[in-house]
Amino acid sequence: MNSISFTGVSVRVAVDGSPTPKTLLHEFSLELTERRIGVIGANGSGKSTLLRLVNGLVEPSAGRVMVHGGNTVEDVRRVRGKVGFVFTDPLSQLVMPTGREDVELSLRRSIKNSTARAARAEMVLERFGLLHLADQSIYELSGGERQLLALAAVLAVDPAVLVLDEPSTLLDLRNRELLRETVAGLDQQVMMSTHDLDLALDMDRVLVVESGRIVFDGGAAEGVAVYRALCAAPLQDAPSGDVSR
Amino acid sequence: MRGHGFLIANYVRGNSIIHRTPLLLKFLVVAACGAASFLIVDWAVSLAIFTTMCGLFIMTGAGPRRLLRAIWLVTPILLVIGLFQWWQLGAPTAARIVLNILVCVVAASVLTATTPVQDLLDGVVVLAKPFRRFGADPERFALTIAVMLRSIPFIAGAFSDVRDSARARGLERNPRALVLPVFITTVAYARQTGDALAARGLGEPEDGEPEDALMHG
Repeated sequence: MNSISFTGVSVRVAVDGSPTPKTLLHEFSLELTERRIGVIGANGSGKSTLLRLVNGLVEPSAGRVMVHGGNTVEDVRRVRGKVGFVFTDPLSQLVMPTGREDVELSLRRSIKNSTARAARAEMVLERFGLLHLADQSIYELSGGERQLLALAAVLAVDPAVLVLDEPSTLLDLRNRELLRETVAGLDQQVMMSTHDLDLALDMDRVLVVESGRIVFDGGAAEGVAVYRALCAAPLQDAPSGDVSR
Repeated sequence: MRGHGFLIANYVRGNSIIHRTPLLLKFLVVAACGAASFLIVDWAVSLAIFTTMCGLFIMTGAGPRRLLRAIWLVTPILLVIGLFQWWQLGAPTAARIVLNILVCVVAASVLTATTPVQDLLDGVVVLAKPFRRFGADPERFALTIAVMLRSIPFIAGAFSDVRDSARARGLERNPRALVLPVFITTVAYARQTGDALAARGLGEPEDGEPEDALMHG
């Protein structure tokens, strides 16, 4: 029951001016039960599409995605209640002017009483060490603080699954480490795409995505090695004039 | 993205009598100021109401600097309106129109400075309840206002960034180099915001509404 399963899933989209749709993800089946799942691959390989299937932001063109017993198409509201999603750019995710207000916004559905909601928001912010920043404008926060705040706002409703789409891309080393520690301490099942291979090595299971296909599924160290080999291949194959400047 | 959070009228924590005034009353004062701007015909009355609203703002403890900032932001528009009206209808009418707009700006600032955004949204939800019979979702009304408030500083920030990029390329006098990228950035931002709201389950229909939202100070 506590798993994310993809059965015969593929994703295709129509392209303007082309009679044939473009395949973003070729057919695949997976059963994910591990607590920490990493997704690595080049830009445009299909990582984000794979993650967006998990909370129904993308619907499969064929097949079925089940998250903790809920179908992402038929039970999309229930699934979204179970899946928290953190985007690469926290500014596109934070809706309210301050952190406190954004966390309270997350809680509006579950806590109707404003006093209880404010108290719960304070607890959440304190848990993530963000209470001192609670009333600052989100524009005055650093990238790391914003990303942590986005994470806190999503975790405020206590989802069972947390999906993070390249959460460390815009962060410096210190904030990346802070994010890494925070994610490591979470109780939720975590599925994360990343270009940070150190972060990928923390995962229990790693999927390598290449040109819309899952080309590797297994342990973290092996997955990272496969990805490194994939990245190195075009450089080795390319004529020397292509890489010199 | 450059910070333009100052464009949003932030809540100022406090315990003044205006902070404790029920939200419904504050809503009514803002609405009355808006309605009065159509009814008042004497600039001296407008000036008196403006002075009163400024007095109320100072009573909130938010400080005169914040008041001046709220007014400063609309000054360029008021100057254009005032000069045009002076030319068309004379000084008393121009003064009345400018003062009436300022009354609305200060009244709205009193409301936002003394009411947390969440309380404002709860109030909007309650006020929008009658529209349910027409199929409207009150929670979506509130969310729309939240997204609108959030988008103003974003678009201002996008404009600043694009203007700097255009300057760096020597294109600051080319309106297309300014408008088009801001437009594209804004559309992309709207899509990202839509995805983020959907991912957080915000804006979806639900049962129930906030408790006693309009009666809290």
